[in-house]
Amino acid sequence: MSTILVNPLDERVRPKANPAPRLDTLEGKRLALLDISKPGGAVFFDRLETLLTERYGVASILRITKPTFAKPAPDEVLAKIRAAQVHAAVEALAD
Amino acid sequence: MKKCQPTSVVYHRGNVLPDPPEHDRKHSMLEIGAAAPAIDGIEFSRPTLLAFFETDCPACQLTLPYLNALQAAVEEKAVVAAISQDSDCRTETLAKALPIEIPIHIDHRLTASRAYDPLATPTLFLVDRRQRIAARSTGFDKTELNRIARRLCDLAGVPVTAPAAPHDGNPQSKPGCTSRHLEPESGAADPDPVDVHAQRGQRAGRAVLPDSEDPYEYCYEHGFADPLPVVPPTVERVQRMLAASGLPPREIIARIPPNFGAATVEKIAANAVMAGCKPEMMRVLVPLTRAMCDERLDIHGVQGTTHFAAPLVIVNGPVRGQLGFASGSNVFSNVARANSTLGRAAQLMLRNLGGAIPGEIDMSTLGNPGKFSYVIAENEEAGPWAPLCVDFGIDPRRSALTLYCCEPPRGVSEHTARSGAVLLRAFCPVLANLWSRRVCRAPEALVVIGPEHAATLKRSGFSKDDVIDYLYENTGIPAAEYDDDGGEGSKMTQHYEECVIRSARCYRKFKGPESIRVVVAGGPAGKFSAVLGSWQTGKRGSQMVSYPIDDE
Repeated sequence: MSTILVNPLDERVRPKANPAPRLDTLEGKRLALLDISKPGGAVFFDRLETLLTERYGVASILRITKPTFAKPAPDEVLAKIRAAQVHAAVEALAD
Repeated sequence: MKKCQPTSVVYHRGNVLPDPPEHDRKHSMLEIGAAAPAIDGIEFSRPTLLAFFETDCPACQLTLPYLNALQAAVEEKAVVAAISQDSDCRTETLAKALPIEIPIHIDHRLTASRAYDPLATPTLFLVDRRQRIAARSTGFDKTELNRIARRLCDLAGVPVTAPAAPHDGNPQSKPGCTSRHLEPESGAADPDPVDVHAQRGQRAGRAVLPDSEDPYEYCYEHGFADPLPVVPPTVERVQRMLAASGLPPREIIARIPPNFGAATVEKIAANAVMAGCKPEMMRVLVPLTRAMCDERLDIHGVQGTTHFAAPLVIVNGPVRGQLGFASGSNVFSNVARANSTLGRAAQLMLRNLGGAIPGEIDMSTLGNPGKFSYVIAENEEAGPWAPLCVDFGIDPRRSALTLYCCEPPRGVSEHTARSGAVLLRAFCPVLANLWSRRVCRAPEALVVIGPEHAATLKRSGFSKDDVIDYLYENTGIPAAEYDDDGGEGSKMTQHYEECVIRSARCYRKFKGPESIRVVVAGGPAGKFSAVLGSWQTGKRGSQMVSYPIDDE
């Protein structure tokens, strides 16, 4: 007699998300830098901001920080990034 | 999908949104006592509760099922009606998914929405027989919902009912979404409806194994389990679990983050079978699943952290004896089927439905042996104080479970202390080292006191609060340890509280006595206790939650 098992897993089929289109150049672009709020984030982003503006000619940078790294970014944080109409966003952490 | 906003923000946001046509900037949501505008198809000959909702609003999806219960309670004496701000198709989809059992009026041109002018959805308007607004409430809030229900019952002359019970798995409150008629015109196509708050999921799939297939190997190869063998979840075994639960197989108890896989009763049952649970464990697994997904616990963050944290379950009350939970010797280890299988079922669900696969979502640096199973019961018989669940407002006569996301136990040994105060001194250095020694205020602690230590404290007249106060007041880090070396916590001293402990200037380790919880567990012999350190704490991290378990 064959055995019939009940599937214990999450069976949803998830469509693969495509990455956002890459930028051809950083020159003159608006960027958001999202710091997840780990202690070393500011050090990393300060350096990144300098490199992006001085070496790659990024026009403006929105610095934004999550209220806690322990939870997903709340709607307010995402809304601020959308409202700034940036060309790209970088989320990062440094501990 | 439309983005939701906290209702507290909606009013302010209204000033920066483009004006919708026909709508003045000044909000004019109907006040108490105002005449209720007519709505096609709704008579106001009986007390009537109108619920304006949107199909993709999570707070609306939380509210509507309670209104089914409220309509059933008031029967024909009153009307409970839902006013949908979305299309027939989207409304019908949600009505089937939740389900919505009360009459639904589809507000096609948002005529009623403009007339009643709710700031956000859900908004409830209670209309009396004189067709006046008698009460109103915006957003999802259990207290408000029960207040409105009470008013409706009073107006209808039926016994008062409170449909929104605490500990039913839903949050106490959730902000609503901007009402459709206040949204800026986007011109974008209608998004697909979402079902994150649907209460019925799909039946689980079945795998038919030929005789040549070893079911134990099949489970391992198909990623059903942690690396230890599991009991194959055969249809017959799962059916026994379902029968014991008395719940419909498709009912969704919770969605487990971060993947938000639906923990239907059937999925819980299948994982419980694999873990080796007996069918009667379903009455613990259902509230445990709800508790694990309580937003205060933030299992979302715990599942993905590099820290040691894993959810520890602490069981209280009569269920300990009824189902055989161990609270004595070896309480943290391999002593009882109930402890080990309940904890393993929880971990299998976190992995199989929540997605916490080690090396993928779960990137813990060193892990935690508790990720196989992490369940203790409180030794209430050896404890001189009220059990842990009472600290969370649960009746001591009831069964309950409490969840705490923490690292593995750190031992405390003290064999010669004759008084409670001397005994507790042995705990302080262990507490001082939690998280990182020089980090203060953020860590929390669960102190598990062994019965011999509990007896010493009782002899010295220590209440539970006395124990906590002593530990709080006597645990600190000497200020002399704070060199300017850049070590963790060393640059945060301006946020710390200074104190003097045994003539030494110190920084207090804990933010307050509420950062320390005490439970009694363990066997009768051995002067040992344990301290369990927290993960991130408070509203920015994980908070302990306690849920009642239905007693037989």
